[in-house]
Amino acid sequence: MLRRFNIFFIFSVCFVSCDKEINLSLDKNTSMLVIEANITDQPGPYFVKVTRSVAVTDKNVFPGVTNATITISDNLGKRDTLIHTIDGVYQTNKLRGAPGITYYLEVQVDGKKITAESTMPQKVALDSLRINGFEINGVERYNIIPGYTDPIQLGNSYRFIQKINDTLDQTFHVFNDNLNNGKVNQRPLRIGTDQLEIKLKDTISVEMQCVTRDTYLYYYTLNQQSSAGPGGGTTPSNPPSNIQGGALGVFSAHTKQVKIVRVN
Amino acid sequence: MLQKFTRFYLLVLLLIIQPFTAKVCAQENVVLNGTIRDKQTGESLFRAVVRVAELPSIGILSNEYGFYAISVPKGSYTLKVTQLGYENFTQKINLDTSKLLNIQLEVIAVLTEVVVESGRKNDNLIKPQMGTETLNMNAISKVPVLFGEKDILKTLQLLPGVKSAGEGNSGFYVRGGGADQNLILLDEAPVYNASHLLGFFSTFNSDAIKDATLIKGNGPAQYGGRLSSVLDVRMKEGNNQAYTVNGGLGLISSRVSVEGPIQKDKSSFIISGRRTYADLFLKAAEDFKDNVLYFYDLNMKANYKINSKHKIFISGYFGKDELGLGETFGIDWGNKTATIRWNRIISNRLFLNTSLIYSDYNYNVKLKNKETNFNINSNIKDLNLKQDYTFYASPKNTLRFGFNSILHTITPSTFTGTVNNSTKKVGRSGLENAIYISNAYKATDKLSLDYGLRISAYSLMGGDAYNIYENGLVRSTIQLDKSSVGKTYVNPEPRITSNYRISDQASIKAGYARNVQHLHLLSNATASSPSDQWIGNSYNIKPEIADQFSVGYVQQMSQDNFELSTELYYKFLQNQLDFKDGAEINTLSDVESALLFGIGRAYGMELLLKKKEGIFTGWISYTLSKTERKIEGINQNNWYNAKQDRTHDVSLVGVYTLNTKWSISGVFVYNTGDAVTYPTGKYAFQGNTLYQYASRNSNRMPANHRLDLSVTYEKKRKKRIQESWNFSLYNVYGKQNAFRITFQDDPDDASRTQIIQTSLFRWVPSITYQFKF
Repeated sequence: MLRRFNIFFIFSVCFVSCDKEINLSLDKNTSMLVIEANITDQPGPYFVKVTRSVAVTDKNVFPGVTNATITISDNLGKRDTLIHTIDGVYQTNKLRGAPGITYYLEVQVDGKKITAESTMPQKVALDSLRINGFEINGVERYNIIPGYTDPIQLGNSYRFIQKINDTLDQTFHVFNDNLNNGKVNQRPLRIGTDQLEIKLKDTISVEMQCVTRDTYLYYYTLNQQSSAGPGGGTTPSNPPSNIQGGALGVFSAHTKQVKIVRVN
Repeated sequence: MLQKFTRFYLLVLLLIIQPFTAKVCAQENVVLNGTIRDKQTGESLFRAVVRVAELPSIGILSNEYGFYAISVPKGSYTLKVTQLGYENFTQKINLDTSKLLNIQLEVIAVLTEVVVESGRKNDNLIKPQMGTETLNMNAISKVPVLFGEKDILKTLQLLPGVKSAGEGNSGFYVRGGGADQNLILLDEAPVYNASHLLGFFSTFNSDAIKDATLIKGNGPAQYGGRLSSVLDVRMKEGNNQAYTVNGGLGLISSRVSVEGPIQKDKSSFIISGRRTYADLFLKAAEDFKDNVLYFYDLNMKANYKINSKHKIFISGYFGKDELGLGETFGIDWGNKTATIRWNRIISNRLFLNTSLIYSDYNYNVKLKNKETNFNINSNIKDLNLKQDYTFYASPKNTLRFGFNSILHTITPSTFTGTVNNSTKKVGRSGLENAIYISNAYKATDKLSLDYGLRISAYSLMGGDAYNIYENGLVRSTIQLDKSSVGKTYVNPEPRITSNYRISDQASIKAGYARNVQHLHLLSNATASSPSDQWIGNSYNIKPEIADQFSVGYVQQMSQDNFELSTELYYKFLQNQLDFKDGAEINTLSDVESALLFGIGRAYGMELLLKKKEGIFTGWISYTLSKTERKIEGINQNNWYNAKQDRTHDVSLVGVYTLNTKWSISGVFVYNTGDAVTYPTGKYAFQGNTLYQYASRNSNRMPANHRLDLSVTYEKKRKKRIQESWNFSLYNVYGKQNAFRITFQDDPDDASRTQIIQTSLFRWVPSITYQFKF
């Protein structure tokens, strides 16, 4: 909100601010492994995607790593070796995720070993999606408040994936209970861009994930870095993650619920 | 603690003063003292040079309140008082006994020069002070600035060693220090956020300001509490001879001030107000009618002369900013300060000023929807008692000593509303005490020294629990009861500056200073924001320490008309603060758990060439510098460039007076871009393109440069009315300087990344009308 306001301020006061595309000479890239791994409380299979980063000046084509050996095991002694499907996407065979269980990911590729660990949090029920209307400069605007009651115990983290008429809202919505612990949620999902907004008659789907503190921190840091200019934006760095051994990405064990609502 | 402190202090004082007093009495000297003032306005004059023609080795400077005292053997003398911009004062005086002489100086009728520095023309040759610049408000009135709003902070940024926090921004960095490492004083009261409207304006209304002195790390012992610099801004006292009204109308804001005597020669007042009106234009536009955007500030000051020995000053500042979007979003912040000062002439050589100061800064953020609303609120309050003695001990020694006690009460960000804070935060207080003594010693005709010691202490006051962290985890908790005092940090801060005159035209200088800072600004954004939080020392946060070594050389050229000065400095910083990645500074129950600590270093060379008199005046300044930090947990614990590290920084300022009516001025600046972190690669994650980073701040924004011009027309004075117009054009050749650089997927071709540069302020014209009657 503050960030959007700042941008408004700058544009309104400075009659002549402008954007243009430029070229910069950037430092040489060292390609890194990127791991996108999830396990949920819904029936499998679960997927692990292994790709490599490319130079900023390259096309947005991210090569999949097809020769990795990947296993996911849990603290109950179960172990599953994943099978490569296509373009660096691997899937589980028999594992079934459940809250309270700790999962261990191991990826071996070209002699390099990458590990991560994640314990699936208990599920907090998504009761409803409420439509929150407000007015700015005479225009009615909307956002969605996911209705859930945070448990009394401190330390719950949530992630929400919002789709507006099947368009993915690219904002990383993550909440925790630093504020409002043990209470009914009142916070709306604020969309971080002006390109996307919710209008009357739109259909909104929201996936709620109860995530670990590590996953929360990963997405929260990405969010902080996404804004720039006065009042926003921290110095960017690779976000802190639970992945050990020198790779980007995060391994998240989380619960998953989806609800859909139409704005009337 | 306080008692122990006082006892120690008195002891030191006795030891240092005794030799002087004994020696002086033995010589049967007499003392001449008094105050030096402007004849027309009655404003006291600071740093006027008082000399005796018959005794060339004697020379002293008036203090902040215009007080001077000079002791000489009995005899007849010719007294000379000089101050730049004023006619020289000469008077024959027969001193067979001690005498009181109040001196009034007349402004030079036609002031042709526009100068940066007040004081005698070649002051810089004799004063030991280093890294010091005094800006006089008249002097800066013709320098072009953004929106035509003359601004002391923006003009300061044109001096060597001072860097702007961003284009059009009033925030500044001195010799590699952070924005929070500048002690900004308004009539001795600390100002915690010296900017309006996200930094585009400073809180200082130039109409109410008499002058401002910036000291870059070599502050005399009476100043303390910040590492990088002291900016001592003093408000006008108000004309005690006649009523005057001053005002200005600009595109963005207007201001008016009234000053005059309460009782002629005895007491006076000044009230000055300013408000922006950009919001009024916004209201007119349907699309923006709910937007709120303004600031105002008010300066007030009055003084009363009780008798020849006692004088009282009361001054106050009140300023507020409001930004908002209808009912849904609002943010406001503001400073309040109040100062009561009591000048007392204890004897003809001893001057005392006692100040009681109150300062308050707070901000509020309000978010409201139909169903939800919440507020974030934070506040810092200071109550400050200060005593400062000036003792003209002998013709060669001027002593300054005193103490300062500040009670800080800091309430960190607190949430209220339908979204509640689960862990309630209470305000913390800290008591900052300092005692100091310094001596300005004119050792020989050629060598002068200014040396002193400041001892500062910060005590954690009870009423809150303090956690002690190890690797981000609580190791233990100390609960301090309301009445108890926790840890006290005591730091000695030795300071010395020296000046040696190698010829009539040149001198060399050298100095060392240690500064200690007990309050720290927590900001995890790359730019300053009103919501940045202040925090005091704790069990984890230790006082920040800076040691600065500097050497300098001053050369006067062609009859003192040109002055070249250069300084080299090296600064080492300890106990610097930063955050872990992803720290949620506003919502964490204890922000200390997310802090990281480290060290810093800064070094550089500053060059300043000034032309001080004539129809063309101005200066060229150049700074070559390096500023780095090394913080445990950032950049793999390696050194990295601080954001404000800019290798080259050049400013050219020129004012050309065509005739009594017209003058033209220009400013050109060039500087290396800020140190930033660009991505080295990119990857796909959850449907987004994310960027990969390597080492911190190893890249550069593109270099900035810009030319600003302005023309001032002064109408011929009609009776008492004086009017002037100022036309200026900011960024004359329309250079698109980078304000921000964004990496994003090209909206027209999602398979490639585009790098977007956002620039502000291309060709900003402005016009300002000023009047005085």
